Amino acid sequence: MTDLATIVALALTLCILSFLYRENPFYRFAEYLLVGVSVGYSTVVICRNSIYPLVIERISSSGDILVLIPAALGLLMFARLKRSWSGLSRLPLALMIGFGAGVSIPAMLQARVLKQVSSSMQSLATLDGIVIVVGVISTMSYFYFSRKQEGLNGRLAKLGTYFLMVFFGATFGFTVMSRISLLIGRLEFILRDAFGLVS
Amino acid sequence: MRLLSLDRRIIYILVLLAVGVPLLFRVPLPVKVGVETRKVHSAIDNIPHGSYVMLSFDIEASSLPEVKPLAEATVRHCFQRDLRIIGLALFSEGAAIGYNLLVQVADEMGKVYGSDYIYLGFRPQYVSAILGMGESIEDVFPLDYLNNDWREYPGYASLGNYDDVALVISIADGSLPTYWVEYAGSRYNQKIAACLTAAMTTSYYPYTVSGQLVGMVSGLKGAAEYETMLGYSGGGHRGMLSQSSGHALIILLVIVANVAELRKRK
Repeated sequence: MTDLATIVALALTLCILSFLYRENPFYRFAEYLLVGVSVGYSTVVICRNSIYPLVIERISSSGDILVLIPAALGLLMFARLKRSWSGLSRLPLALMIGFGAGVSIPAMLQARVLKQVSSSMQSLATLDGIVIVVGVISTMSYFYFSRKQEGLNGRLAKLGTYFLMVFFGATFGFTVMSRISLLIGRLEFILRDAFGLVS
Repeated sequence: MRLLSLDRRIIYILVLLAVGVPLLFRVPLPVKVGVETRKVHSAIDNIPHGSYVMLSFDIEASSLPEVKPLAEATVRHCFQRDLRIIGLALFSEGAAIGYNLLVQVADEMGKVYGSDYIYLGFRPQYVSAILGMGESIEDVFPLDYLNNDWREYPGYASLGNYDDVALVISIADGSLPTYWVEYAGSRYNQKIAACLTAAMTTSYYPYTVSGQLVGMVSGLKGAAEYETMLGYSGGGHRGMLSQSSGHALIILLVIVANVAELRKRK
C-alpha cells in the first residue's frame, strides 16, 4: 500500500507539472510550500547542527565563553530590521567582507588564474595540446578590445568565436542531459513508487 | 510555417512519452566508460584500505534524481574498498540527503556507524568550513550530525585534518568543487574528485586537465559508467534508455525547427 509521504509527494509533483499546461493556483501553492519548507528546514538544521554544537554545547561543556563574541556579532546582523539600529550590522558585514576578500583573492588567483594559465601551456606535439593552445589564444583574442579586430587579430578572434560556439553547444547538450535526468527521476517515482508499474 | 507556431504543450507531451515509455521496459544499453570516470575509479581504487575519504554532499533536493545514483555508486565503491567515510554537507539541504544515503548503503553492505563511516552534518559558510578543516576537523565539527562526540568512535579517534584524508569527493550540483579546489586543493594540497550534475561538466573540464581535480563523474551517464565499473545495475543504468530516447527527440526537434526556420527565410 502506498504510504502518506508518497501520496503527498505525488500530489505536489503533479501540482508542479501542471505549470506545463498553464499557470494555476495548484502550481503556486506547491511553489510557495517549497519556499516555506526550505527556509524552515534550513533554520532547523542551522540551529541544531551549528548553533547548538558551536555555541551552546561549547559554553555548557567547557565554559568557553569566547564563542559569545562571534555569536554576538552574528546577532548584530538582525539590527538591520530596525532602521535606527541598522548601522550596527555594518560591523559583522565589514568583518565578513574583509575576511572574504583577504582569503579569496590569493586563493582565486592561484587556482583560477596561475594554475589554469600554466596548464594551458601544453606541448604542441599532441593534437590535444594544439587544440588547447590555439583555443586559449584565439578565444582570448576575441575578448581583447583595446585594438580593432582586423587583420591577424580579427582572424584569431573569429576563430575564437568558433571555440566559444563549441563550448556553448557542449554546455547546452549537457544541460539538456541534466534536465532529462531530472524528468526521469520524477517519472520513475510516479511509475514505480506511486503506482508500482515498474519494479 | 505551421511548425514554428506549434503549441509548446505538444512538445511537452512528446518529451513525456519519449522519456516515460522507455522506463516501462528494462532494456539494458551498453555503456562505454569514459576517461574521467576511470580516473575517479582508479583514484579510489589506489587508496589503501582503512584510509579516510571525505564525502561532501554539496547538493540541494532539486538535483537529487540525477545526483543520487552517482553518490550511491561512489559510496558503494568506498565501502567495497573498506575505506572509512567522513560524510558532511556544505548546503543545508544536503545534510539529510547525505545522511540518509550513507545509512541506506551502509545497511545494505553491513557497514557500521562509527567504525566504517561517520556523518558530521552541515556547516554554514563553506569557505570557513573548508579552510578550518585544514587546521582541525574537530574545531569545525566538534559534534557529528547526531550531536555525539565523533572522536569517541573507534575508527575516527586519529582523524585530525586533511593530512589524514586520502581524498575529498565533492558531490555537487553547483560551484562548490571550485571552492574545494581553491581552499583545500591549492592551500593544503588535498586531492579532490567531483561527482557533478551533467550541466556542470563543461565548467570543470579545465580543472581535470590542470590536475586540480583527480577526475570527475558527471550526470546519469556518469553514474551508469561507474555502475558498469563496479559491476552492478542501479539508477544510472535504469535511466539510460529514457535518456537516449529523450536526447534523440531533442535532436530531431532541433533539426526540424532549424529546417523550418530556414524554409521560412527563403
